[in-house]
Amino acid sequence: MGAIIENLDKIINVSLIYATFRSATPIIFAALCAAITQQANILNVGTEGIMLVGAFTAVAVSYFTGSWVVGVAAAMLAGVLIAMIIGIGHIKYGADNCAIGMGVNMLALAITKFLLNVVFGMNGSFSSPEIDPIPRVKLEFLSEVPILGEIFCNWSIAEWFVIILIIALQFLFYKTVWGLRLRAVGQFPEAAKTAGINVNKIKYQAVAFAGMIGGLAGAHLSLGYSTQFVENMTSNRGFMGVAAMYFGGANPVFTSLGCLLFGFADSVGARLQAYGIPSQFVLMMPYIVTIAVLSVSMAVKLSANKKRQSSLN
Amino acid sequence: MNNNSAKAGFIRILVTMLLSLGIGALFIVGIGENPIDAYVALFKGAFNGKLRLGTTLAGFTPLLLSSVAFAVAAKAGAFNVGLEGQIFLGGIAAAYIGINWTFLPKPILFVACFAGAAVVGAIWGFIPAALKAYYNVSEVCTTILMNTVALYITSYLVSGPMSAGTANAQSHPVTVTLHQFMKPSSANLGIVIAIILVLLVIFMLYKTTWGYKIRTVGTNPDHADFVGINSKKVFIGSMMLSGALCGIAGCIEVLGVHGYFLNNFATGLGSNGMLAALIVKNNVVATPFMAFFLAVLKAGAMGMQQSTGVPKALVDTITAVFIIIATMETLIQFKEKAKKKAETEKKEG
Amino acid sequence: MSEYVVSMSNIVKTFGTVQAVRHGEFNLKKGEIHSLIGENGAGKSTMMKLLYGMYPINSGEIIVKGKKMDRLDPKTAIEHGIGMVHQEFMLVEELTVLENIILGFEPTKGLTIDFDSARKEVQKYIDQYDMEVQLDKKISQISVGEAQRVEIIKTLMRGADVIILDEPTAVLTPQEARRLFEILKNLREDGKSLVFISHKLDEVMEISNRISVMRQGQYMGTVNKEETSPLDLTKRMIGREVFLNIDKSYGKAGKTVLEVKDVWVSSNKETSKIRGMSLHVNEGEIVGIAGIDGNGQSELIEAITGIRKVEKGSVILNGKDITNFNPKKVRDAGLAHIPEDRNKRGLNRTMSIVDNLVAVQLDEAPFSKGMMVQKADQDKYAEEKVKQFDIRPTDYNLPTSALSGGNAQKVVVAREVSMGKPLLIASQPTRGVDVGAIEIIRNTLEKAKKEGAGVLLVSAELEEIISLSDRIVVIHEGKITGELMASEANENNLGLLMMGGKESK
Repeated sequence: MGAIIENLDKIINVSLIYATFRSATPIIFAALCAAITQQANILNVGTEGIMLVGAFTAVAVSYFTGSWVVGVAAAMLAGVLIAMIIGIGHIKYGADNCAIGMGVNMLALAITKFLLNVVFGMNGSFSSPEIDPIPRVKLEFLSEVPILGEIFCNWSIAEWFVIILIIALQFLFYKTVWGLRLRAVGQFPEAAKTAGINVNKIKYQAVAFAGMIGGLAGAHLSLGYSTQFVENMTSNRGFMGVAAMYFGGANPVFTSLGCLLFGFADSVGARLQAYGIPSQFVLMMPYIVTIAVLSVSMAVKLSANKKRQSSLN
Repeated sequence: MNNNSAKAGFIRILVTMLLSLGIGALFIVGIGENPIDAYVALFKGAFNGKLRLGTTLAGFTPLLLSSVAFAVAAKAGAFNVGLEGQIFLGGIAAAYIGINWTFLPKPILFVACFAGAAVVGAIWGFIPAALKAYYNVSEVCTTILMNTVALYITSYLVSGPMSAGTANAQSHPVTVTLHQFMKPSSANLGIVIAIILVLLVIFMLYKTTWGYKIRTVGTNPDHADFVGINSKKVFIGSMMLSGALCGIAGCIEVLGVHGYFLNNFATGLGSNGMLAALIVKNNVVATPFMAFFLAVLKAGAMGMQQSTGVPKALVDTITAVFIIIATMETLIQFKEKAKKKAETEKKEG
Repeated sequence: MSEYVVSMSNIVKTFGTVQAVRHGEFNLKKGEIHSLIGENGAGKSTMMKLLYGMYPINSGEIIVKGKKMDRLDPKTAIEHGIGMVHQEFMLVEELTVLENIILGFEPTKGLTIDFDSARKEVQKYIDQYDMEVQLDKKISQISVGEAQRVEIIKTLMRGADVIILDEPTAVLTPQEARRLFEILKNLREDGKSLVFISHKLDEVMEISNRISVMRQGQYMGTVNKEETSPLDLTKRMIGREVFLNIDKSYGKAGKTVLEVKDVWVSSNKETSKIRGMSLHVNEGEIVGIAGIDGNGQSELIEAITGIRKVEKGSVILNGKDITNFNPKKVRDAGLAHIPEDRNKRGLNRTMSIVDNLVAVQLDEAPFSKGMMVQKADQDKYAEEKVKQFDIRPTDYNLPTSALSGGNAQKVVVAREVSMGKPLLIASQPTRGVDVGAIEIIRNTLEKAKKEGAGVLLVSAELEEIISLSDRIVVIHEGKITGELMASEANENNLGLLMMGGKESK
């Protein structure tokens, strides 16, 4: 405890704000990927795998073409391909979401290892100065402003983009025809069907779109957050994304807030560790909070249902 | 009728296996190697010699327990993704008891380690099960989340209060260990314990009233409640049993393989066990065989990498493809049906 | 063009081995309300779902506005002006009323949904037909009656002039039902053609122009409202069947086994489905509960057996208050129960005949010892029961999913009756089974009674009720409308009570 109080000003300070957002960004991308399919009632356990394949593809293509744009585009395409394994398996062949998701995660881990080996002849990780990273946006005019400068002046393009993406998805889900149909398909497919909507088509579209975002999540991790590919570099960020998606009930804004919780825990954890203070309790808090949020919301729903049925109280 | 469906299931798995080995072969050809050589090397890598066979067996042990644990929960209708967390916590409980309760005579300490691991694992299974049974919170998400919580708890303990102070995060050595054989591999008597437990579980499922109740709840909970079986209690009980088996798997890893609690030791054990069970649709008799098959693939991969130019990651790829195909329930059945349909149409026409 | 906007002829529809519609006929004139009536499972909902294109027909012909429909799906049906208000509302709980109404036919402005013009459009219908709804509430926040109006607006927005309403009043309070009728009459005046599916005859008599009757998947004819009466309709709906050969004994009823005192129960959809019911069953008698399906029979039985919550009142079994006991405790207090749905509750279809036969007594000797299952004793018992009840095939290790309806039901009956419990509840014991099984099952109930058990029998078959029961209790809309001895009962006086009328002395 003493160490915490001693170093409190170094643990909690202005730079923690950007640090939190920086660690949260990959998780936000992952969570949005999970949120899209969740809106169609497909639990995307495979987020982790989609992301990992995206990360590898981005590095590989950026390395060979020397263009981060092409790298990111390729990662998104790869994400779609991987996601479609889940889509086809689940929608067409009745695979259990959770099972096929775990299968895809395993496949992603194995195939990226394999390709790392075969394509680059490397074990464990690959980095090279020839990888073209996603550029950062330097806001020179802010760099002199005390607090804002520290927070905003050096973001990666992907970090700015994620904010646009959150707003865009919020708009897409709740203001557009496709979003309305997507939500209807997820919540009550029979109702959507009787309204003349092609349920499976919407589901496939959601899965493909989620694949794009998942690929992007990976590309950000390997070209923005860092500039390298490391085996299993997603290290559970996909699952954190799924957890945050649950936390926020698949609403993009609330889901992202959940991700900030994870990002906050992550960056505080890293700082604690730097001062030799065990960080694990901070790191596990978001998970426990998510379980608590889930349980309380379900319990409330259940008792509301009971009340509605009974006429006597 | 029953025989037929068992046979169809067997054929289905066989076809899936061949299909994934075929896809693997394409990869191997793609990198300019000979698939047959690679597969022979794989086989040798798993069985040839004491060290290799021993390593295969040591890898098989936790997989056997976790896969059967998953299947038991699934028999009552639960999807226990939390195997890994239960293994971790079982391991840490065994380590704690094995290090600190030295006042107990050895044989009793030994039993205490197993009992402690089982209890802690069962508690970790109880939480999501009760949340599901009484509040309808999906056990899939809670168990996924609780895996990470368990990982952090153990990681805190072995890098903090229970740390041996070494560079690697690990605990002090435990004072009781399981006898190792086929040295220098880490195969140990835990495998005997695991096999006995699995046999007991199979016996329990098919010869006792508990097993009957678990199977009834898993297949038709409405009927179960109707005939007077408390489906909620049975559901929770089977998740606790599942957790206890995982806890014991953790205990065997600590007492048998490492001799201390090694941070992160169970990573991947849970998901592999779960997949072994899923492939055979939670058939508890077939599950151990599938667990063995996966253990062979994993262990043989190293040998293959050493004696041919094929990286061991390829084996994981094949396993993953195998699993993905196996989860697509209607993929292979669909083909069979289409064939049947075509046949009957021919007859009629 | 013919005078009909819709005409369906020679319709056949099967699901797997079940023939839901054996021979269906239906037609609809412009600007009329045409009721389609029949008991549960008579095929009336299925007929209309076929018209709406929810499933393809096996054979027959559907003509809509002079055009023969070869392939119908909901989308084509909507395009041809057919709308359907399903019994289970097709509304997404978490979406708003407005979003639900426009789903699938959303007006757009640029990238976004044009909620403003949608709102104006909807408001037109609200004003025109006086259907008040709150457009910005979520479905989960509005009442059932309002949700139903949302469904009707939905069909109108899609340009429907043929509107099918599947048991619309089943979920409404009497006040809400009155309001619905006003709306329906407005719609008719406006030239819409309506199909009204129901089994509540007073409502049908009030609102219809014409009435068609179905029974067991068969079309039983169409009548003008002026030419019929509730009694006539009841006879057509229930029909009469060949009386099977049962030796009915008139034993002496002993002490009371079951007493139900002023019980109130809610159903899944309806609050207070059962409103203050009291009845009793004595040893050595069969009490039949007569009533048109869906008037609270299922809820009553579920409440007695501990499956559904009793909100008020008490249930006494063998002198012991068992109100809201769990099913296991109710059974321990002396109850055996043949449930109405053998596939949902009665059987575990994946498990074997022997497993199902011993399910209730699994923890008792000789079927288990400690926690060990005694397979040999179970097999012996199963062999005996298979012979006694003529269950075929005789291999008791087969899963019950391999059995025909009659044989599957015999497994349930064998299990429940063999325990010799003082109270036996038999709910629709012969529904969907063959004649041979009917005879065995009815004789079994008769035998249980002779041996001193009190039997509470619920059946949709009036003939079954009359021929088996000693005493008959008639229920209508969750209340008891009369009680008479079987010897005095006939289709006329029962029919009258089943429609809610008073017993005429």
